[in-house]
Amino acid sequence: MRKIGVIARHEYLVNVRRAGFIIMTALVPLLGMLGLLVAAFFGGQASAFLERHFAPDTKGVGIVDESGAFTPILPAYEGAFVAFADEDMGRAALQSDEVTILFVIPENYVESGQVMIFSRGSGFSAAVMEDSASVRRFFVDHLLRDEVAPALRKRLADPIKPVLVSLEAEGQPQGGPLGTALNLMVPYFLGVLLIMTIFTSSGYLLRGVAEEKTSRVIEIVLSSVTAQELLAGKVLGLGALGLTQVVIWLVSAFGLSRGAVSLLGVSIPLLARPEVFALGLVYYLLGFLVYAVLMGAVGALGTTMQESQQLAGIFSLMAAIPLMLGSFMFSNPNMPLFRVLSWFPLTAPTTMMLRFPMTEVPAVDIVGSIVVLLISIPAVLWAGAKVFRMGLLMYGKRPSLAQVVRALREA
Amino acid sequence: MTQKMLEVHNLVKRYNGFTAVDALSFEVYEGEIFGLLGPNGAGKTTAIRTVMDIFRPDEGRVEVLGQPPGTDRERIGYLPEERGLYRDLRVLEVLVYLAELKGIPRPVARPRALAWLERVELVDWADRRVKDLSRGMQQKLQFVASLVHDPELLILDEPFLGLDPINVELGKGLIRELQGEGKTVVLSTHQMNLVEALCDRILLINHGRAVLYGPLDEIKRRHAPHAVRLRTPTALDVLPGVARMERRDDTFTLTLEGITPQELLQTLVERNIPVEAFEVATVPLEEIFIAVVREGKDA
Repeated sequence: MRKIGVIARHEYLVNVRRAGFIIMTALVPLLGMLGLLVAAFFGGQASAFLERHFAPDTKGVGIVDESGAFTPILPAYEGAFVAFADEDMGRAALQSDEVTILFVIPENYVESGQVMIFSRGSGFSAAVMEDSASVRRFFVDHLLRDEVAPALRKRLADPIKPVLVSLEAEGQPQGGPLGTALNLMVPYFLGVLLIMTIFTSSGYLLRGVAEEKTSRVIEIVLSSVTAQELLAGKVLGLGALGLTQVVIWLVSAFGLSRGAVSLLGVSIPLLARPEVFALGLVYYLLGFLVYAVLMGAVGALGTTMQESQQLAGIFSLMAAIPLMLGSFMFSNPNMPLFRVLSWFPLTAPTTMMLRFPMTEVPAVDIVGSIVVLLISIPAVLWAGAKVFRMGLLMYGKRPSLAQVVRALREA
Repeated sequence: MTQKMLEVHNLVKRYNGFTAVDALSFEVYEGEIFGLLGPNGAGKTTAIRTVMDIFRPDEGRVEVLGQPPGTDRERIGYLPEERGLYRDLRVLEVLVYLAELKGIPRPVARPRALAWLERVELVDWADRRVKDLSRGMQQKLQFVASLVHDPELLILDEPFLGLDPINVELGKGLIRELQGEGKTVVLSTHQMNLVEALCDRILLINHGRAVLYGPLDEIKRRHAPHAVRLRTPTALDVLPGVARMERRDDTFTLTLEGITPQELLQTLVERNIPVEAFEVATVPLEEIFIAVVREGKDA
């Protein structure tokens, strides 16, 4: 056991100094920080930018009022809004560029709320205009002009000017569409990051084993420890390395989350569903064990680093299937395909890590996939260690499938 | 030299139907330098790997330090033929790690590694990366790596491969020192001059089987051509009991028949023939090796 600890520490210390690991670990928080700064800088100007570029000049809004609620136009809006007697005249004005957008308010507007909006440009500019603050104020002011005081009308048109005080204490402030997107995207990308960590850490294992084999240091090491101890030490050390990366990312994510609150007024829903994180970590550990042992065995089978990487590609591809099907998963994370993938040991960790943030995963899938992984991990460990031992000392020639099978049978 | 450090009895190891080691038996005793010889592919490395618990025997019994292989790895040092080191790590770091794998605590391993680096003139390279070392330096480092944990039994597979004569002498000196300290050394090599210079007993294997086994002196005597070498300034006439006479300058090689070297020496004295040098002729181990392997003789 002590030797496993020595190997684990050695693997951890050697790999934590690798430039690739440092860059990868630092890159995620740095990109997050950059994204936050960009959002803070441009976010406030975004609506103004949209209005400026896509909303037509408010001086040129044509109004055809068939309901009578908007006639006459209040003095405050004269100039910005121009009334037309009927739709044909309004359309003609639109065609001749007198107005750049035309609102036709039908007779039954109060009951139906329907307004026809005519524009000459893309539908997008009409949509932007429809939602603009100035149009909303125009409608509220005219509808309530005889019934409500001007100050209240102003409030009705723009009811909330948020002043954020404390996020954690007061609950999660809603960030509108951005908040909704973050609610879905952030846990999803955290899942993707965990999967990436599995791949990078087990990739280090593959590389380490292949290097030890090609540099011929392996036989010296095997004179001191068993192949099983060597594999166990590597898996533990590199698992700890992956966890280090996850912890650094999480700490920086919480830092970024606080930054997002103060800069953007939006909460990043990191712990909106703590069970997602807890299970994410469970699947991280189980997934890492499966892939790390596989990568160790595959690293031992190849005669060169390139050959080992090619062999490993088969397993990586399998594990990456859920990632490749990400867009389908967004539409229905509980569709039968993903449920099946959740029950297959090689795809279960990655599938479940992606499904969790998106939906309420059926409990049977959670229990089932964990049980399947817990059963398959000892089998993978046993077979992986056998193949690892056999492959380590075969120089210059890759063992055939028959030899691999024989090694497993003789074990 | 009575305690058995290594005992191999009827060892058989097969790969895919090919028998690499076939009913091999030998013993290595405490404090001796034991030579394991054989042509390429004879089964030496397979036998060593089985002793080191890297391979499992198909048949037979192996006991290392009185126990099954792999039981007491800390008391064994091993320098494999296929060897290398962590090229990107620093020299001292590598030695400390390998010593730790042999159960030496880190605080002990570090000064011990430095002392060994001093001994093989590599201490100035302690903080350099292994890949910065020349091939010869790396060889010395590998040698040190096999004994930094102070093993009782040292198994060296081609330890001097690629070393220049100065470093070969350094290595030979170290092996003799280790023997002087009571260590047991198993030396597998093709370099017969090294075996002759270092080994007490040898095992020659061919096609996985033992073909010569025993004390080196005895084997050489057994294969001696029953001849003497005599240096004399005078010409020699026919001598009784001398079947054949060859001359090179003033040295004669006399093949004896029916008499002993002592009886010949007595004749030379009686006949007043001046003797400048007289020795029983031996055959270099290399010749015995080649002859035995070619003829497939039994030990």
